[in-house]
Amino acid sequence: MAQSMGLLKISRKLHKWLMLFVGVQFVIWSITGAYMVFFDIDYIHGDSLVINHQTKIDPNTIHYSLKSLLNDYPQAKQISVGTFINQNVYRFSVIGKKLMINATSGQLLSPIDKQTGQAAARHYYSGAGQISETELLVDNPPFELSPRALPAWRINFDDFGAPSIYISAQTGQLVGKRHEFWRLFDWMFRFHIMDYGAAEEVDNMLLFWITLAGILACIFGLVLVYFRIFKRNSETLTRSSKAAAMKKSNLS
Amino acid sequence: MPWIRKIHKWASIIVGIQFLLWLGSGIYFNVMDHDKAAGRTYKAYSQIDVKVDTQKLLEPSTVLVQFKPSVTLTLTTLLSKPVYLLTHEQGLYKHFENHYTLVDAYAGQQIHIDKNMANALAKQSYSGPGVIGVSTLLDVPISDFPRQHNATWQIKFDDDVETSVYVEAGSGRIVGHSDADRRLADIFFMLHFMDYGNEGSFNSVQMILFTFVALWLSLTGIVWTVDLAFRGQYQISWLAKKTKNRTL
Repeated sequence: MAQSMGLLKISRKLHKWLMLFVGVQFVIWSITGAYMVFFDIDYIHGDSLVINHQTKIDPNTIHYSLKSLLNDYPQAKQISVGTFINQNVYRFSVIGKKLMINATSGQLLSPIDKQTGQAAARHYYSGAGQISETELLVDNPPFELSPRALPAWRINFDDFGAPSIYISAQTGQLVGKRHEFWRLFDWMFRFHIMDYGAAEEVDNMLLFWITLAGILACIFGLVLVYFRIFKRNSETLTRSSKAAAMKKSNLS
Repeated sequence: MPWIRKIHKWASIIVGIQFLLWLGSGIYFNVMDHDKAAGRTYKAYSQIDVKVDTQKLLEPSTVLVQFKPSVTLTLTTLLSKPVYLLTHEQGLYKHFENHYTLVDAYAGQQIHIDKNMANALAKQSYSGPGVIGVSTLLDVPISDFPRQHNATWQIKFDDDVETSVYVEAGSGRIVGHSDADRRLADIFFMLHFMDYGNEGSFNSVQMILFTFVALWLSLTGIVWTVDLAFRGQYQISWLAKKTKNRTL
């Protein structure tokens, strides 16, 4: 009995002290964790920002043959046929550079200009808002865009959540879709894994030590829960006996 | 303050154990070997350069008319043979539902990924010492890859870490590898995301409810801590004794 009371006292003390140091991170974990869980991950990914067009290729309008393509671009690799807005196109790469040509005329379409980039963004974008800003990104992409997608047009819309649609300047394809909810999610994730540096790394030492202290604090907290549920009577007993003792001393 | 304490105690009763699981799995992610946890122990990275005789390639337009309407036609290679991958319905991501047809780019015949072909594709992606045990065509959901939404071949190798290679039946794409290390990591992910139904998601009802309660637990906890500090409850006892002695 006295032993278990000692455990209770120690647990209370250590829970109190450990949480003084790691409590703030617990709050950060809870807030960031809740944010990441409350919002549907597909929404975070911006899936609802775009229309997943299923425009089919019309084979009868492909007058520019693969043979002529290989004749004009003998080094063409990764060849595909698809559509760009409403025209049939070939996409391929020549020594690391991606090209797009019209599959009816063989006319080179890439790199696409600002107007075409905006037209593509409007084609993919599911919202009703207006374009607020258009920018060609050649190097140093923002964190939300993979460097592999460069060069790309960033087209911002003036809708809720400040959406950005990224269109490859070489292939005209949709290469990114971001809004504030993703940007906030990314920020939340960094705080969740205590990555206060540049890289998103989950194996940092700060996280390790704080989590270790957090585990101890949590275990002592669980001891308190245990006493609360299973030893409630004994606790109230000691309290009431204390009170009785105090009464006694007051009387005397 | 009594309310803060009451909420804190009740919230801890509800989410206390899960909180410990969150921390325990969290520290596991911190210390685990990320390559192993991704199941890449026996992943082969070598790329085979396939010689394609471009003169023999069929024209895309003649292939396209012979099959269902396509969104894209992609020239690629499977087991050192050029093929056209036709995508009829394209998902936003590869693991979302997609409808494909594979066509021999020389002969124009449709290619079906049968067991032999799936085995050969898996071998190409595998660098370990094991040999193929069982190969099964799995329908979704696939327990090692719960987010994969397309039918997939599972090819089991009899190595020390029980590697399974997953090959998408429609396209021949390597979905990924899984093995004992990855499955162990998956258990911790399941605990961390409370994904007890293996849905590959952390947006579940139980997760939302528990994080909501956990939010209350930590917020009341921090208020309690600040309150204790203001009431002078954070004193180091021997320092406190010293001051007491001095006042005496």
